[in-house]
Amino acid sequence: MTTTVPITLTINGALHQAFVQPWHTLLHVLRDVLHFTGTKRGCNQGICGACSVIVDGEVVRGCLSIAANCQGRTITTIEGLANGNTLSNVQQAFLELGAVQCGYCMPGMIIAATALLKRTPKPTEEEIREGLSGNLCRCSGYVKVVRAVQVASERGTS
Amino acid sequence: MQIAETFAVAAPIERVWRFITDPATVAPCVPGCQSYEVLTATSYKATIQIALGPIKTNFNVIVDLTKAEPPTYLASTARGEEGGKASTLTAKSELRLLANGPGATTVSYASEVALVGRLGKFGLGMMKKKAKSIGEEFAVAFRTRVEAETASQGGTAGEVLSADNAQAGA
Amino acid sequence: MKFYQPTTLKQALKVLANEDDARCLAGGATLVAMMNANLLAPSALVSLSAVKGLAGITRRKNGSVTIGAMTRHQAVADTAALDGGQRLVREAAALIGHPAIRNMGTIGGSISHADPAADYPTALVTANATVTIENSRAKREIDAQNFFTGYLETALEPGDIVVAVSIPAGVAGAGSAYEKFARVQGDFATVSAGVVLALEKGVCRHARIAVGGCAATPIRVAAAEAKLVGSRLQDSAVAAAGVLLAAACDPIDDFRGSSEYRLMILPTILARAVSKARVRAETVS
Ligand SMILES: Cc1cc2nc3c(=O)[nH]c(=O)nc-3n(C[C@H](O)[C@H](O)[C@H](O)COP(=O)(O)OP(=O)(O)OC[C@H]3O[C@@H](n4cnc5c(N)ncnc54)[C@H](O)[C@@H]3O)c2cc1C
Ligand code: FES
Ligand code: FES
Repeated sequence: MTTTVPITLTINGALHQAFVQPWHTLLHVLRDVLHFTGTKRGCNQGICGACSVIVDGEVVRGCLSIAANCQGRTITTIEGLANGNTLSNVQQAFLELGAVQCGYCMPGMIIAATALLKRTPKPTEEEIREGLSGNLCRCSGYVKVVRAVQVASERGTS
Repeated sequence: MQIAETFAVAAPIERVWRFITDPATVAPCVPGCQSYEVLTATSYKATIQIALGPIKTNFNVIVDLTKAEPPTYLASTARGEEGGKASTLTAKSELRLLANGPGATTVSYASEVALVGRLGKFGLGMMKKKAKSIGEEFAVAFRTRVEAETASQGGTAGEVLSADNAQAGA
Repeated sequence: MKFYQPTTLKQALKVLANEDDARCLAGGATLVAMMNANLLAPSALVSLSAVKGLAGITRRKNGSVTIGAMTRHQAVADTAALDGGQRLVREAAALIGHPAIRNMGTIGGSISHADPAADYPTALVTANATVTIENSRAKREIDAQNFFTGYLETALEPGDIVVAVSIPAGVAGAGSAYEKFARVQGDFATVSAGVVLALEKGVCRHARIAVGGCAATPIRVAAAEAKLVGSRLQDSAVAAAGVLLAAACDPIDDFRGSSEYRLMILPTILARAVSKARVRAETVS
């Protein structure tokens, strides 16, 4: 016997409903049910960080979060950072500094950087590296990523 | 991964050979062996439970004896699959017996085991330790059994066990 | 697969008692990864997220600190409640994985999974912690040292839930440290060491050591601790303790390091932990 669980999520400010199976992850529901495909699936094992999303103000792994356990929670994905056509500070800094190459890791990286700056608005380079240590990028070598977070931090929040 | 073990048994080499080549006496010494079936004179089928922490699974293993030189050398291959074929296990093993006087035998074996599939990706280092401890448990169980029979002067323990296990295997 | 979201411990224990092969879902950082890898498919998930009273850190009058099973790693890393001989537990929590993992993972989940390379087991054994376990019939307490029994194996029986972990106040004036060597930031330990020390005029009068990543469970050796007690923690005493610990270890070979490598670096990791704990004990006393 399987329980089908009805859930309601607030995603980027709007209410969404879905019926999920107990083993469905938040990542699955976001991407494959509700089509928020900005959030990426890399390893599905919690290692790469591509699936990072913010749940109730904290960065977590979408691939390790059981969707049924997220009933009633507030979620921010990469799609929710910009305000209309205006990018968030972090997005803008990543764009300007050319921190993005293939881009696959970027939704997770930018979400993690956003969460980091919320917790530590003026991080040291060390703190930036630690804060993003759970986000792997196979292209960039991280130098410009770190720089972009510094620039976003200098410009202030959001 | 390689697993090797050497242990001493206080019994004559012929008896050790008889025990180790008879599935009825050897199967109950294999940790996790749920049941076995004799297919031909040189091949057996067994169900073996493997557990690592929360993971518990049964492998259906077919063992083929590929070379026997009684009472000192036995080579075998084993191939097993989990239900649903989620992982496969293959092993090539060699067993050597050495007489250490009239009532003592040294048993040594070496296996090259490969695990492919879902379990092959998980905790290989721990699996290897687990395999080693299974080897040690086997050695203790086997020695106890052979020596018990030897102590009762070649009694019928072996036959009684084989009856029990023929049932378990059916 | 079924999904349960109990709101009381009693309900959670009842579900666990009645469902064969049900598993608690804490942070999911390990359980869901294993489900995704097709390694586990429990008959039911019993989420502990909504169970009242399982999360939080309480400091008692006698100085002991109780950490609820559902307390996230980040909350332990941030707490001011753990100090002196208890500080290494907070230090270990801060070194677990990455921010997202620390926001998800819980102390109850970490010790129940009992990975020999995880950080809490070693820190808790060093700090002489007690694990409180409950099932539908009874409640019991067990020393951290006896809780860990093997590779991914613990004293937990089917139907048990870890409710809390308590860290005693320990020896007055003690300093402690947790040192971890990992290949990259946020990886499990190749080798780790926890140390609690108390000094009197530069002479060690109390020592407790455990090393992680070097055997199926955290390893403590009374004789190694005895090498430090009465010494001035000079290099030779610390090295002698390292030799005794290494002799009691039997590390695995894997991508985090060969068995030989782990044994080789163990004394260095121990020495680092000792020197940190010593400085802290000196500032306390
Ligand atoms: C990328 C990554 C890096 C990591 N790095 C580290 C690291 O450096 N150091 C480290 O120590 N750990 C590390 N971890 C593991 C992490 O700490 C996990 O959070 C932890 O091992 C499990 O905690 P959880 O709360 O997520 O438990 P879950 O995954 O929910 O559960 C784990 C197991 O414990 C059982 N369980 C959970 N809670 C209880 C309870 N209260 N009572 C009884 N049983 C229970 C579950 O049924 C399950 O079998 C890492 C994990 C990931 C994904
Ligand atoms: S997909 Fe979730 S961490 Fe890689
Ligand atoms: S930009 Fe390609 S993986 Fe990061």
